[in-house]
Amino acid sequence: MTTREQREEALKEAGYNTFLLKSEHVYIDLLTDSGTSAMSDRQWAGMMMGDEAYAGSRNFYNLEAAIQKHYGYKHIIPTHQGRGAENLISRILIKPGDIIPGNMYFTTTKLHQEMAGGTFADIIVDEAHDANSTFPFKGNVDLKKLQALIDEHGAARIPYVSIATTVNMAGGQPISLANLKAVRELTKKHSIRIIHDMTRVAENAYMIKLLEEGQGHRSTADIVLELCSLTDGATMSAKKDALVNIGGFLATNEWDVFEEARNQVVIFEGLHTYGGLAGRDMEAMAIGISESVDEDHIRARVGQVFYLGRKLQAAGIPMVKPIGTHGVFLDAKAFLPHVPQLAFPAQTLAAELYLDAGVRTMERGIVSAGRDKETGDHCYPELELVRLTIPRRVYTQAHMDVIAESVQRVYERRDSIKGMRMIYEPKYLRFFQARFETL
Amino acid sequence: MEHKTVIEPFKIKSVEPISVSTEVERTQYLKDAHYNPFLLRSDNVIIDFMTDSGTSAMSARQWAGMMEGDEAYAGSRSWERMEREVRDLTGMHYILPTHQGRAAERIIYGHLGGEGKVFISNTHFDTTRANIEFSGATAIDIPIAENKDTALQHPFKGNMDVAALDMLLKEHKGHVGAVILTVTNNSGGGQPVSMANAEGVAAICKHHGVLFLLDCCRIAENSWFIKHREDGMEGVTYREIAQRMFALTDGAVMSAKKDALVNMGGFLALKNEALAEACVNLLIITEGFATYGGLSGRDMEAIAIGLQEIFDPYYLDYRIKSTQFLGRKMHELGVPLMLPIGGHAVYVDAKKLYPHIPSNEYPGQALVCELYKLAGIRTVEIGSVMFGTYNADGTLHPAPMELVRLAIPRRVYTQSHIEYVIETFAEIMKRRDTVRGVKITKEPRFLRHFTAHFEPLP
Repeated sequence: MTTREQREEALKEAGYNTFLLKSEHVYIDLLTDSGTSAMSDRQWAGMMMGDEAYAGSRNFYNLEAAIQKHYGYKHIIPTHQGRGAENLISRILIKPGDIIPGNMYFTTTKLHQEMAGGTFADIIVDEAHDANSTFPFKGNVDLKKLQALIDEHGAARIPYVSIATTVNMAGGQPISLANLKAVRELTKKHSIRIIHDMTRVAENAYMIKLLEEGQGHRSTADIVLELCSLTDGATMSAKKDALVNIGGFLATNEWDVFEEARNQVVIFEGLHTYGGLAGRDMEAMAIGISESVDEDHIRARVGQVFYLGRKLQAAGIPMVKPIGTHGVFLDAKAFLPHVPQLAFPAQTLAAELYLDAGVRTMERGIVSAGRDKETGDHCYPELELVRLTIPRRVYTQAHMDVIAESVQRVYERRDSIKGMRMIYEPKYLRFFQARFETL
Repeated sequence: MEHKTVIEPFKIKSVEPISVSTEVERTQYLKDAHYNPFLLRSDNVIIDFMTDSGTSAMSARQWAGMMEGDEAYAGSRSWERMEREVRDLTGMHYILPTHQGRAAERIIYGHLGGEGKVFISNTHFDTTRANIEFSGATAIDIPIAENKDTALQHPFKGNMDVAALDMLLKEHKGHVGAVILTVTNNSGGGQPVSMANAEGVAAICKHHGVLFLLDCCRIAENSWFIKHREDGMEGVTYREIAQRMFALTDGAVMSAKKDALVNMGGFLALKNEALAEACVNLLIITEGFATYGGLSGRDMEAIAIGLQEIFDPYYLDYRIKSTQFLGRKMHELGVPLMLPIGGHAVYVDAKKLYPHIPSNEYPGQALVCELYKLAGIRTVEIGSVMFGTYNADGTLHPAPMELVRLAIPRRVYTQSHIEYVIETFAEIMKRRDTVRGVKITKEPRFLRHFTAHFEPLP
């Protein structure tokens, strides 16, 4: 616990960037749901069964079996986390000049595509860019946009379509099963792969169960399998859905891609049967994957996020609708309408939330969007958001109440809040380390 | 009384069962693994001497630290603890955590390397060489001449050839990425590097204005040799010896999976701010944010504690002396070895053991297969499979030595396991004339030893 004075001091020292705060100065940490889950007693027991052999660890085979069983992919390569898998797949499939359509960008994904010489193209439905639209499947692909890209560039220039379940940058929004099926049909016609960015696939599947017509009777586990079956491969950060603190993997149904990935993973990550992970962490991942599709778990998980979201909604706090599955995304543009985008309203709001009660959140707006690689100007995203991401199984309902009260307090004094300016800007992924000053 | 017996300075709190197999079963397992032990299932291995990397048994204190891991994405307490510990040991200010050593290597050598650049080392390890060559640069090894003669006794056979370094730095002026001193010198037989040699290298690097980096994954073991073999160092503690060596350099790369007694982790430590800033950018893209670098909080705790434990004199004494016990016994059996015995492993000279097998039939790989079949002992070839290249006409350009490494995991096996290995070597010696070589049936472009397939020759 900290006092307001201590938090003012800590925030200043951190350059008004919540990423640069020390964890010990944070009361409730909503920076990310990535790697912050509490593991189960079963996972901890698995940790004790780690086989730390350099090659052929039994934990690898358990992980491989869990992925095959719950996700259905044929070949897998463990990586130390999701970005390790993104690095591999981008290097293997993308040639300079290629176009990679996707249902909205994600920071590290887009960067790896660009580093391999590709260009990301957004094909998400327009509703995704409108914080107020209540469309239930804002993660959907606009098939016309995808068709237009194929017509313009030719299928040969599109190594794969990147499909995220759920779409983080849109506010944790799901894609519908029907939409993914349509994407599969179109890509099949043109022999284009779908690579699945599957970090929150269970949460996406649960939303399909809740909201999509004709899906209510199915188990989340079953829908997860079907989602995966509509794609050709996947990258996963297991630090989200799969309830571990570290780990990820690359999965593919294509032998050639697997073979190339197996050769390259040794250079970047580690031998292909550990990929930069301790044996025990592969075991925890295998167990976490099976827990992630458990019906009671997923209902409680998404239910807790909805509890917080509904509380804030009832208080009139502007936010992305519908409520996402892994967090509540505050609409900073509507929250602070008097702060122009170049004065970083979301960054400012994140700083204010920390000051009020020590709740750490993350900017997902102009700072995260970075600069256009051609013009060098800022990218100006439609959505200027502050993400309140809820770690899995970590906080209780009482914590949710504290958060809701704090957001309301800040909202009540919103008119007195001024923007910020950036005084240090790193070249890549600037949001991690940029520093600011209050205006 | 003074005891001659060196005991393991620990007792065992938690055990991991070994699944014992028969020779008939192992013959099949080996065939299924295409005669490449990297492709064996660990469950089918009895004594795993493949590597000392990431295979250590952690201490009770480290496991307690694991329970205290702070998994916050940014600014984790566990990171602060690790950063403090690494700063204190290395004397360097900029510490970048990485998921393991090769990630630290890729970041620093990727940044310093590229087409036309040259890296010079006492001996580049396999992943180091791969990272450097992957960037388009060239890796040059200049161990001292004594290093090539496996039978020759020399107290610091891991040393770098200082005269050759001076010449190379003149020759490649303006194109040198870095000079890398690996302690101990792993591919060169796990041989130590003396403080005097490190000082010599540092002076020449300074004179030529090139970056001097330490690959410090076995720095504590190297310190043991310095204390016991180098004049004037008897009174200095192991930790101080390590600190003196760090002080000579501009930066260090560490795979914490070796001397730091952990199963996962590494770091890059630098003195120069601008270089550190460039590396942090690469770190965030490929590894993770600057305060976790792809490690869980608990693993950072374990590294911080492990870095303290490695300098314990009783631990280091047991570690080095138990390795030497195995080496001495094998030597007495007449097994041709790389001498003197190094710190973390015993290296068998397979060229001498199997003089009838030419390099292009990979005598080291043949021994590796024999050891597994006879006793379920998994080892690794460090010879022409790992370092061989092809000439333009497709013939093999062999590695200078054909070694097989028996790398001993830290705090994992007891003396009776070692006796079992010695007994196996007595049998290996009996059968040496009947063993045949192998041929490669399939290989990838980089680091082929990890995934290549083999077939025994008739």
